[in-house]
Amino acid sequence: MAGLTLRSVRKNYGEVPVIKGVDLDIAHGEFVVFVGPSGCGKSTLLRMIAGLEDISDGQIGIGDRVVNDVEPRDRGVAMVFQSYALYPHMSVYDNVGFGLKLAGTPRDIRDRKIREAAKVLQMEHLLDRRPAQLSGGQRQRVAIGRAIVRQPDVFLFDEPLSNLDAALRGDMRMELARLHRDLDATMIYVTHDQVEAMTLADKIVVLDAGIVQQVGSPLDLYNRPANLFVAGFIGAPKMNLVSARVAAVDDSGLTLASDALAAPVVLPGGIAAANGDGVTLGIRPHDLQVESNGPFRGQVQLVERLGNETIIRIALSDGVEITAALPGQGAFAIGSTIALGLRPEAAHIFDASGMRL
Amino acid sequence: MTAWLFIAPAAIAYAAFVLVPLAMSFYYSFLRWDGIGEARFHGLTNYLTVLTDPKLLQIIGNAFQLVGYFTIIPVLLGLAVASVIRGHMAGPFGTATRTILFLPQVIPLVAAGIAWSWMFASTGVVNQGLRAIGMSDWARGWLGDFVWALPAVGIIGAWVLLGLCTMLLVTGITKIDPSLYEAARLDGARPWHEFRYITLPGLRQEIAVCVTLTVISALASFDIVYISTLGGPGITTTVPGLEIYRLAFAHRQVGLASALAIVLMVLVLISIAPIQWFAREKK
Repeated sequence: MAGLTLRSVRKNYGEVPVIKGVDLDIAHGEFVVFVGPSGCGKSTLLRMIAGLEDISDGQIGIGDRVVNDVEPRDRGVAMVFQSYALYPHMSVYDNVGFGLKLAGTPRDIRDRKIREAAKVLQMEHLLDRRPAQLSGGQRQRVAIGRAIVRQPDVFLFDEPLSNLDAALRGDMRMELARLHRDLDATMIYVTHDQVEAMTLADKIVVLDAGIVQQVGSPLDLYNRPANLFVAGFIGAPKMNLVSARVAAVDDSGLTLASDALAAPVVLPGGIAAANGDGVTLGIRPHDLQVESNGPFRGQVQLVERLGNETIIRIALSDGVEITAALPGQGAFAIGSTIALGLRPEAAHIFDASGMRL
Repeated sequence: MTAWLFIAPAAIAYAAFVLVPLAMSFYYSFLRWDGIGEARFHGLTNYLTVLTDPKLLQIIGNAFQLVGYFTIIPVLLGLAVASVIRGHMAGPFGTATRTILFLPQVIPLVAAGIAWSWMFASTGVVNQGLRAIGMSDWARGWLGDFVWALPAVGIIGAWVLLGLCTMLLVTGITKIDPSLYEAARLDGARPWHEFRYITLPGLRQEIAVCVTLTVISALASFDIVYISTLGGPGITTTVPGLEIYRLAFAHRQVGLASALAIVLMVLVLISIAPIQWFAREKK
């Protein structure tokens, strides 16, 4: 097993830059998730690590080796593809053992490794089947099994659960977490699903437009998003973002005012902002609560009752819409007026350039 | 009843143009008949002649020799081309390649046969080329040579069928999931492994179609041989299709021609059956 280093890694398709200089250190045994919207470059970055895409500039190291010019087969990586990429004419047994066969592994050792992997993934009964005879979840297990038997330094997963239904995705998520624990392997996982990112990752790398926006633990990113992009991307429902201006700064804290707010918002001190600065106030839907004289007053536009909580969307006085996730099964009527307050310590403030203050 | 009415037009056409002629050929094959006068029942004599006459056996053998050229060369070259240009199929290069490779298919067979006859002639471009590279000893009238006429006809057929096979295989290879090749590269596959374990199995259906069509083209060939050699010199390039035509219309041996046609049909079916078995979807 080994860690991974990326130094100023760039990728251009002709004149178009898609990865614009990524620096990253991944320690041995870490589960790192690349997350970002479609087209942000996360899969490209993964494929560059795998050796399936050339890099335009920079350096990729796996363990102690720079692997820029090393063939994919010699990088010590195994990859699980979004489409599973199982060889359709081979049995599960042959699919899992294909890499070992090409490596010239003796038949008895190959057999033992295939059966061990099958046991770990609880698919021993599937070994004689062909991929077409398997369900989506079973195919995913075979794809993972094919990666496991090669005992790679680094496992790469390219949106491996995106073709599964919600229930199966949840089960496979737990299995991947167990697998990571059992194998003590370095894993890099690409997804656009932030639930997968939050639940699986030791470290999340948020990418947008080929640039790393923030690297940190899931709770770091949730609690202290570095900029507006991360604030809006991490967390479900999305963080509410309201433009405001600093109305007063004194020893007791910061007062924000906005046409959207029915009352000024007073936040604790320690935020580097000056009187009159334009800022963005971020507040997560779960940090709002019903409060008769709260600053967020508006008309209820939408109510989603999930049982354990109720999601409501309200339009503030200047037309800005915010979302609140309120506990329980409150009786909110569409069109009614409601006022919401916030816990001041849960607020996030971003400056005019979108960076966290 | 409604169902029968729906299939009736196609069924009637099929019966009129396939089943009835087939049945009539089968019937004629038991006759001694010149095609005009009175026919006499001849038993299995025509079949015995087809299966024992050295000349007819050689003619059948010629057709099987042509299979080697009509089938093996286009399929192997088509596979090679498809494998090489895989991954470059999108864009102008792919379009240009497909167009160029398909050209032989759109040229009328008669034109191709005549053009190749000129090229294989004593003063043709093939001999000019050989003389230019100092191989004058090899120059000859290829289509009039007892040894080389059949291979020369085979080359013409291979050229004609190469476009079809390449098109089928190039189209087939685009259906193979590119991530399979990527997974194989990560699994340690080299280009030969990719071809052996991904391309070949992925093209099984297309290969079977190519082999089926080209085997039938070889065994039932007529036009290329008729245009380029008329079956000569001697009978070195005569194929069953040409011989059936000669027997029926020149020698007025309709019964024997029909028996040869039935035997040819059986041979085609026997040759095609293993290909269909190979191509079937394994459950």
